[in-house]
Amino acid sequence: MDIFGEIRESLTEILDIEAEQVTPETYVIRDLGAESIDLLELSISLNSRFKVEINDEEIYLKSLRSCLNGAGANGDAGNRILRQFPFINGKRAGEILGDLEGGPVLKVKDLMSYVSWRAGKNGC
Amino acid sequence: MPNRVVITSVGVVSPLGSSSGEIVKSIREGKKTFERSEFDPGVWVCPVGKDFSPRDFIGRYKNLRYLNRGAAFCAASAMGALKEAGLSGEMLAGAGLFVGSGPNLDIGGEFPEILEGQMDRQDLPALWILKFLPNTAASAIADLAGIHGENATIGTACSASLQAIGEAFRKVRNGYLDLALAGGGDSRLSPGALLAYRKAQALWTGDGDCSAEYSPFGVNRKGFVPGEGGAFFLLENLDHARARGAGIIAEICGFGASMDGHNMTAPDPTGKWGEAAVRFALAEAGMSPGQIDVISAHGTGTQLNDEMEANLIGRVFDMHSPPVIALKSWVGHLAAACGAVELSIGLACLENEILPGIRNLVQPCNDNLHFVRENRDFAAKTMLFENFGFGGQNAALVVKKWTQ
Repeated sequence: MDIFGEIRESLTEILDIEAEQVTPETYVIRDLGAESIDLLELSISLNSRFKVEINDEEIYLKSLRSCLNGAGANGDAGNRILRQFPFINGKRAGEILGDLEGGPVLKVKDLMSYVSWRAGKNGC
Repeated sequence: MPNRVVITSVGVVSPLGSSSGEIVKSIREGKKTFERSEFDPGVWVCPVGKDFSPRDFIGRYKNLRYLNRGAAFCAASAMGALKEAGLSGEMLAGAGLFVGSGPNLDIGGEFPEILEGQMDRQDLPALWILKFLPNTAASAIADLAGIHGENATIGTACSASLQAIGEAFRKVRNGYLDLALAGGGDSRLSPGALLAYRKAQALWTGDGDCSAEYSPFGVNRKGFVPGEGGAFFLLENLDHARARGAGIIAEICGFGASMDGHNMTAPDPTGKWGEAAVRFALAEAGMSPGQIDVISAHGTGTQLNDEMEANLIGRVFDMHSPPVIALKSWVGHLAAACGAVELSIGLACLENEILPGIRNLVQPCNDNLHFVRENRDFAAKTMLFENFGFGGQNAALVVKKWTQ
């Protein structure tokens, strides 16, 4: 199974939801209602499936807002994201910056990027 | 003047079925409920069917992963009780919740694997601890139902769920709550639980077919048969029930509880404190022993319980006992859930005017009591429920069929 398929299976099992509810563009918290204990379970599940270490601070973008505190203009905010979360690319960083008002920005595709990066398949 | 307390809804999952109609049908047909344990064929058990799924009662729910089987029976039967109750979210928010639960004994081979605080098991959830906390069932039910009122999780062994119902009764009776959901669920069919009961030498030890031989109050009784299931009841202030036009099933009239303070497992052979609990329940109900139509005995089929209990009934009822039934001969011993499930079966019997016989009872251990040997039609109004648990826990509840 591919990375998306594995992650979708983890999410459907942990959140007791249908597979159709999960796409790469789905928000993990905003759309699926994942709570902190669900993210704990997700880390264990992803670690087990992909045999990679899961750092909760990184994969769930937990320090996103604190790393953006005091960021100025001129692409400073985007660069901070890229430094803090090396698995996020420039395009996604731009999306995130335009989406902060809507609530937690974490999407399924961010989990995919993290796993790929950790597995060294797609390192950036 | 204390409030009158009525039962306005019942949810049950039991080896005899999951509704009053199913339970009575199983009794009339003499349903075979005992079988050999799959992983320990030397032990007879009384399971709820393999097709039990809590999802059938509560729908999709991510926290099901944290419910041990007993807690799943709690959640399923509790939500079953609320399904047809017609309560608003506002009413539920002020409702109480009283849950009788047991320890999760499904330890399997897990503990020996723990080394230096770690266990290399990928299938262990991050919050595995929730499967072992006694209030996980209450937490799930409150989450599912939106209940926010006074509550308690009661872990008094085999008297736990009857005591939970009794405590809820008191809260409504004394005006602290208008509504309370009360009951319990348990399963002691796991390898860990059977190990524990085997060690304690409490399980049925016959060589033959348990279904044809297990008999509480029989002179040759040989221990109990573990079972599983759950039941919950909506308890309501009578005025509250009437104001919202709720259907009323029965009235809870009195409750009593006590402790033997005698032994960690065996009952006090004099039954002195169990008797005190029964007499207290009768007094609170304002009834004399002669006003009780049927006794639903704890009747485990162990030597010690049944002898103590038969003598207790003989004393309280002055050797003129009303019919005595022993529902464990039908569903086994549901441990913390036995009181709630036996109450649900008792209410089904009151409603349908039937008395289930004590199965396989040929030669009773006490000739002075009126043990019901075979199913028969009987229009009872009042029923006394007794449960006695490990640790000397005693509970008794008096219930009256609603006829007004």
